[in-house]
Amino acid sequence: MIRVGLNFGLRLRGGAAARALSMSSGQTGPLGTSTTPASLVNVAAQAEKPPPVILETPILRECPIAIPAHRTPVQAWVESLRHYDDQPVGLADLHPDVFAVMPRVDILHTVAIWQKNFKRISYAKVKTRAEVRGGGKKPWKQKGSGRARHGSIRSPLWRGGGVVHGPRGPTSYYYMLPMKVRVSGLKVALTTKLMQDNLHIVDNLELPTPDSQYLANLAQYRRWGQSVLIVDVNEMPENITRAVAGLKSITLVPGLGLNVHSMLKHETLVLTLDTVAFLEEKLLWHDVRYTALYPFRLPYCDFP
Amino acid sequence: MPSAVVWELPLPMKTETKCKRGRHGGNKCGRGNKGYARGGNRPRLGFEGGQTPFYLAIPKYGYNEGHSLRRQYHPLSLRRLQYLIDLGRLDPTQPIDLTQLTNSRGVTIQPLKRDYGVQLVEEGADIFSAKVNIEVQMASELVVAVIEKNGGIITTAFYDQRSLDIVCKPVPFFLRGQPIPKRMLPPEDLVRYYTDPKNRGYLADPSKVLEARLELGKKYGYVLPDMTKDELFQMLSTRKDPRQIFFGLAPGWVVNMSEKKILKPVDERLLKYYSS
Repeated sequence: MIRVGLNFGLRLRGGAAARALSMSSGQTGPLGTSTTPASLVNVAAQAEKPPPVILETPILRECPIAIPAHRTPVQAWVESLRHYDDQPVGLADLHPDVFAVMPRVDILHTVAIWQKNFKRISYAKVKTRAEVRGGGKKPWKQKGSGRARHGSIRSPLWRGGGVVHGPRGPTSYYYMLPMKVRVSGLKVALTTKLMQDNLHIVDNLELPTPDSQYLANLAQYRRWGQSVLIVDVNEMPENITRAVAGLKSITLVPGLGLNVHSMLKHETLVLTLDTVAFLEEKLLWHDVRYTALYPFRLPYCDFP
Repeated sequence: MPSAVVWELPLPMKTETKCKRGRHGGNKCGRGNKGYARGGNRPRLGFEGGQTPFYLAIPKYGYNEGHSLRRQYHPLSLRRLQYLIDLGRLDPTQPIDLTQLTNSRGVTIQPLKRDYGVQLVEEGADIFSAKVNIEVQMASELVVAVIEKNGGIITTAFYDQRSLDIVCKPVPFFLRGQPIPKRMLPPEDLVRYYTDPKNRGYLADPSKVLEARLELGKKYGYVLPDMTKDELFQMLSTRKDPRQIFFGLAPGWVVNMSEKKILKPVDERLLKYYSS
């Protein structure tokens, strides 16, 4: 549902002009030097007159999955990557049960810690007094030598002796959180990103050039932050894969690779419209599904 | 610096281990003075200093004797059945079987815990109003009366452990690639139950079952609705063969789920075995 209507073009133009004006005034970075890239300085000077907008029909994405009657969808701008200065291309309705859930920070913590630890196998192992080479013979007789009594040269009291309660063999720290906890972790992370203005939706990932610098400048101009996580479900175009290959702070990830740790690690999250549909479908299914009779990877007749 | 800062809930869930170090945690470390309690040499659990301990003083009695061999039947109330039908989880236009009940998550059967099936329980007898063709393992007289009064059919059938596991979870069984086994007949003590027409047993004589239906109607004071004029008569009269596990699948067949094919045995000996 769009309430903007006829004022759509004018409002955007105002927003773009405001951004351009702030850039031309000269941002200073942490070292006191200007962070405005040289390529943008000239452009900023011309930004007093914003370029004429070709008004195509805006992309209005409505939520395909039914929303409960007592909730309203949250909205986000749909942007495009074709031009660094491009205005938003449309408006997307996002399902509130995925993008506006209760901000459970403890669930985020649980899931992030689980992600870090469940793969851990610690290979540390030290030898006990039984495993250290030697130490079977009593070093000197019990009485008469004047020294302390000892039974073996490898007891823990001795230098070179065995360790008492040391790490013993490969230990696994594997554990699984319930499926619904992990799902709600993803929902809470998406909500957090949206509510803290760190979520950007893009119609598709088509870049004009495979240049990494272009993408870096775009992220800086649009104030996306230090690190960006881009998620796409379809096959990614060649331009963006080549652009991201040269950058350390921007990561491109398929839809199934979205996880809480990556979302917390990167400052901004960029999703395509297809990714949003995919995530909504997958994450909302867990709210309505039956409990599993047997593992979900085996075929079910009534649900996927 | 990420903008979401995460922390743990400060819930009192973590048990703090008592640290035996210094000032008031140390010295005797909560162990008191001399004796076996200090040295860690306490006697076994249940020892009462020489007095005959409680667990030996009480005489034995076989309360739980053979508990792991006793048959258990998961209760299913008529109220829950009505609830499932009303919500659309169970389809009354198809015969209701253990498979249907499990698929709709109405009951959860654990064949490994000595469950032998489902028993219908009388709670909700006054509000039950659904016409169903239902097959369970045990049912009381009132339940039978209620279902037949509403124009339905109830049958009690026996499933042995292996057949029960197959009926409750058909998909993992089909993926094993084994032929569908034939259902075993009930053990001695259950034969009388399943051949009795009053329990609507699947081994009982159909004519005697009809007589029992009329008698029950007279006893509880309702008129039996005529089934032959019902549009769902064919569905309501479908029953399983005593050796059959699934509707529409006979013992001996192999179901291939990935290629969606059914393989049937051709050898004479196999056919003779599976049709006996």
